[in-house]
Amino acid sequence: MSIVAKETIEVIAQSIGINNLSDDAALSLAPDVEYRMREIMQEAIKCMRHSRRTILTTDDVDGALNLRNVEPVYGFTSGGPLQFKRAIGHRGLFYIDDRDVDLKEVIEAPLPKAPLDTGVACHWLAIEGVQPAIPENAPVGVIAAPSNGNTYEQKDELPVDIKLPVKHVLSRELQLYFDKISELTLRKSDSALFKEALVSLATDSGLHPLVPYFTFFVADEVSRGLNDYSLLFALMRVVWSLLQNPHIHIEPYLHQLMPSVVTCLVSKKLGNRIADNHWELRDFTAKLVALICKRFGHVYNTLQTRLTKTLLNALLDPKRALTQHYGAIQGLAALGPNVVRLLILPNLEPYLRLLEPELLLEKQKNEMKRYEAWRVYGALLRAAGQGIYERLKIFPPLPSPPGHTIWKSKEKVVTAVPNKRKASMEPLEDEPALKKIATDGPIGSSASVTTLASSGENDAGQPSSSEKKTGNRVGKDGQKLKKSAILNQIWKDDLNSGHTLVTLLELLGEGILSFIPSPEMSLFL
Amino acid sequence: MENMQAVNNFVAAYLKKKGFKEAEQLLEDLQNKDSAPIDFHNDPELAKFIHHFSQSEDDVARYQDGYSKLRSWTYSSLDLYKHELLRVLYPVFIHSFMDMVAKGHLQEARTFFNNFREDHELMHSRDLQKLEGVLSQSHLEEMEFARSLRQSKVNIKICQYSYDLLLQYLHKTQSTAMLGVINEHINFQVSSGQPSSISDDAEVVTLIGSCQDTANQINQKEIHWGLLEDSLEERLEKAGGLLSDSEKTEEENKEGDGDETKKRSVESGKQGASTKKLKKEKALNATAKSARPEASTTPAAPRVKAKLPLPLMSTEVEQSILEDLRNRVQLSSVLLPSVSFYTFLNTHNGLNCSSISHDGSLVAGGFSDSSLKVWDMAKLGQQGGSSILQAENDSTSSEHVVGPNGGKRSYTLFQGHSGPVHSATFSPLGDFILSSSADTTIRLWSTKLNANLVCYKGHNYPVWDVQFSPVGHYFASASHDRTARIWSMDRIQPLRIMAGHLSDVDCVQWHANCNYIATGSSDKTVRLWDVQNGECVRIFIGHRSMILSLAMSPDGRYMASGDEDGMIMMWDISSGRCITPLMGHSSCVWTVAFSCEGSLLASGSADCTVKLWDVTTSAKVPRNEEKSGNPNRLRLLKTLATKSTPVYSVQFSRRNLLFAAGALSKNL
Repeated sequence: MSIVAKETIEVIAQSIGINNLSDDAALSLAPDVEYRMREIMQEAIKCMRHSRRTILTTDDVDGALNLRNVEPVYGFTSGGPLQFKRAIGHRGLFYIDDRDVDLKEVIEAPLPKAPLDTGVACHWLAIEGVQPAIPENAPVGVIAAPSNGNTYEQKDELPVDIKLPVKHVLSRELQLYFDKISELTLRKSDSALFKEALVSLATDSGLHPLVPYFTFFVADEVSRGLNDYSLLFALMRVVWSLLQNPHIHIEPYLHQLMPSVVTCLVSKKLGNRIADNHWELRDFTAKLVALICKRFGHVYNTLQTRLTKTLLNALLDPKRALTQHYGAIQGLAALGPNVVRLLILPNLEPYLRLLEPELLLEKQKNEMKRYEAWRVYGALLRAAGQGIYERLKIFPPLPSPPGHTIWKSKEKVVTAVPNKRKASMEPLEDEPALKKIATDGPIGSSASVTTLASSGENDAGQPSSSEKKTGNRVGKDGQKLKKSAILNQIWKDDLNSGHTLVTLLELLGEGILSFIPSPEMSLFL
Repeated sequence: MENMQAVNNFVAAYLKKKGFKEAEQLLEDLQNKDSAPIDFHNDPELAKFIHHFSQSEDDVARYQDGYSKLRSWTYSSLDLYKHELLRVLYPVFIHSFMDMVAKGHLQEARTFFNNFREDHELMHSRDLQKLEGVLSQSHLEEMEFARSLRQSKVNIKICQYSYDLLLQYLHKTQSTAMLGVINEHINFQVSSGQPSSISDDAEVVTLIGSCQDTANQINQKEIHWGLLEDSLEERLEKAGGLLSDSEKTEEENKEGDGDETKKRSVESGKQGASTKKLKKEKALNATAKSARPEASTTPAAPRVKAKLPLPLMSTEVEQSILEDLRNRVQLSSVLLPSVSFYTFLNTHNGLNCSSISHDGSLVAGGFSDSSLKVWDMAKLGQQGGSSILQAENDSTSSEHVVGPNGGKRSYTLFQGHSGPVHSATFSPLGDFILSSSADTTIRLWSTKLNANLVCYKGHNYPVWDVQFSPVGHYFASASHDRTARIWSMDRIQPLRIMAGHLSDVDCVQWHANCNYIATGSSDKTVRLWDVQNGECVRIFIGHRSMILSLAMSPDGRYMASGDEDGMIMMWDISSGRCITPLMGHSSCVWTVAFSCEGSLLASGSADCTVKLWDVTTSAKVPRNEEKSGNPNRLRLLKTLATKSTPVYSVQFSRRNLLFAAGALSKNL
């Protein structure tokens, strides 16, 4: 019942020569022993406090015993707190290491040094509230107090950061690794070995000490090698791999990394040859940027806003080159449909007005420029289309049972639609731009073979979609009557997207239609 | 009500006649409860329960069962009322436990205690540690804490609806054991309207020994907290005016012959630069006043007469103090003080206390080896002269023993105590030191003669703290024997004995006008005593652990107290209420001190920091407003971390330089 066991009492009794202690006596003594012990500890704690200490010593216990007029316990005096050891195999059982001392040894040992005498030293802890940085004061920033896990910490202190020069030792292996990787990146970025290196970067666990070096390397090389397309691509791949590595905390270095990444997205010129497919690099970098935002957006909440601001500025500045616009659009599109809806769609109309002269054969004689303009148009179309598609997908599917029968009668159309949609979604990567060229008529002479091939496919697709449109509208009328109530509910949401859709249609022509699921399209158009 | 009374009388008479003594007793009890705001009389059901309860009190399992049911009910109650109902749980818990112990069901009581102690660990861990040791009926009697708990009732403020809920629950579940405990030990103060906010808890949860009512009663007493008439500060203001006048006259007739002007010119010449500074300060002061009219409380502080005959001050001393006051730096939240830190080295864990004289030139340390050591900071650099002086004293003084190599020592050693020295204090002029020790004595030492002058014997147990009064001559001591005593230097018997604390008196502090002393105790209260008649005039309740340090604001209006948990509380002396808790320290607050004009509070703690707090804002913000926003952030001005040196004492000089002292301890 009490923490002092009956057996303990019996043992103590035997030790002082009482052999026949009755059970009852032991039982009633045990709780009282516990009480007395607690009482003494309480007094000992008082003594400790009045000695301005936070660690209990044997002196305090002696003091407490003295208070109670009890003979102190001899033999435990020590200058400092006692060192307890845990008994192996018994949790909560501690003992003091009490070794046998050979008196002879003690006598023969040379006299120990006399302890230093007490002294007082004086220094300025603060001068008009500011702590001077002298050796007597605690280094600022390191709060010397061992906080007891209290929740209120000194958060309100002014952040005074004194960065000490950090001695950083990099192991020889890591140095070799770094040299090898940078060599590969610079020279042999298309070798199979480089691919292996990327895998290693993405998975190896001991690379964290190298992260600052890699970030510096990337930043340095990007700023120097803007003309070298393959180098840039390799660098971006390195960044991508580093981001994949689960053992690396890349957050502190993001601010060094982001400028070079954004450069690869919206720089005016990437690579120096026409053959360099810098579009691909921009697409890749856009994905990279989106990945970074997704992973670290919640840690740095300003990250995405700053990024989108940069991109939007690049997009809305008419003086920037079309390649820059392309990068900006791709970057924004990669950030998701919401970004597209909020940032691109409102600016779509003025921007298209700017873009239009560049698109036309009569106005823009430079083939290269016109090609770029079409690329931008394509990117824009895709971004807008994807945005609206995602938006429409959110809506609950329209109540189908009544519609179903109608659809069945129009089976041909219905089955045609998904196929068509699938067809248009799959080669999404580069098709829209080309498709646009096909549908809008004036085809530049530079149009490649693929353009021609796909235009045929599109020509076939287009009528079918319009046919389906009319067909569905008939069915919809009947459906509407029955479900008008439900429709009213979602109408408001729909109305918004409906408006957007209509504007999009006006701006981009029918090219946008391929992104719109059929029922919704029939509803809105 | 009259009707009620008649019925009661009738019933009482009937019961008497029939010989139902128990019931009669109950009825009487009920009637006595008339003063309580709840009317149990209208509730025959309740009376029945009580009756029932008294009959079947052996059934101990009821406690366990009843409490666990009450607990789960409380935890599942409405959020809005939950915190009010939760307050009920703790008193019910400890009283159920003690009831069970009292009835001899020790085993069950233990299990009960261990089952539910975790709920209250956060708020009442220290109380629980004490109660844990209660293992038999006799312990209940013996232990002060338990006894006072048993004797007193807990006041709980609760709103009408929560009260109804509770009653309804108790009726419905027929948990008579709980009802009995609640009836017996809790005094509900039912208030209409919304439940009180959670932050009001602090005062409610503290269970003190004496009845809260008496505390309230005591706190009604009148207090003259104003400053002394004709104090030096007041004289300074007058003198300041005179000085500027005299300056004018000086300018007009530079060759003034009158003795008066000459004297003044000497004085102002001596201060040369300081008069300019003073002017500047005055201007600064004026702008500060115009900016914050309510911040300047000092001129508004009323003047009171001294109840003690005060010692006379020599004119030279007065002059030097006045000069200090003129040179005082005006501190505020934007103008923080300079801090000079005295670090004790090689103390070998033996330093118990430290004290710094008002001008910072002398530093004293009390050690657990019964010695008191005083360092003269001026002599620290040049040691040749001091050794001769010490050698001379060596031969003359018997009590004061300097070792054979005394010349090499940097300090003066005072030996005479026969137990650890727990406190030391300098007289206002620095010519005397008082030290108190575990050998139950207080000793007076002269720093001029380096000798022990008087040994004051009066306490029966270790003397934890001793403090000189602001005017000198008188001093107060606090002891383990639960008393505080007032002494004067010329008598070996105490002048007053202040008794009333329920546990050790741990610290003592004088009020600025010398008419009151404040004492902090292990019973978690701070009391204010009238020096003249020895009566307790205020009880400050709110701390959750032992009080370690006290400070009085120079305007006499506020008091700060620091406790074992690192909490500092600011009290309004006139109302007896806590203005605000200052949280920030993570360990024992060994010392607190107000700056000389009362705008800043400095605190030193075992967490190795000195913290500076803004008093003007914390005193001005009323309690209910501070919940919005983080109050602590506003008030904590600065944390000054030391290099693993717990801060034992802080003190402002008259010129508002802050001194702090502590012992370097490596093993922290």
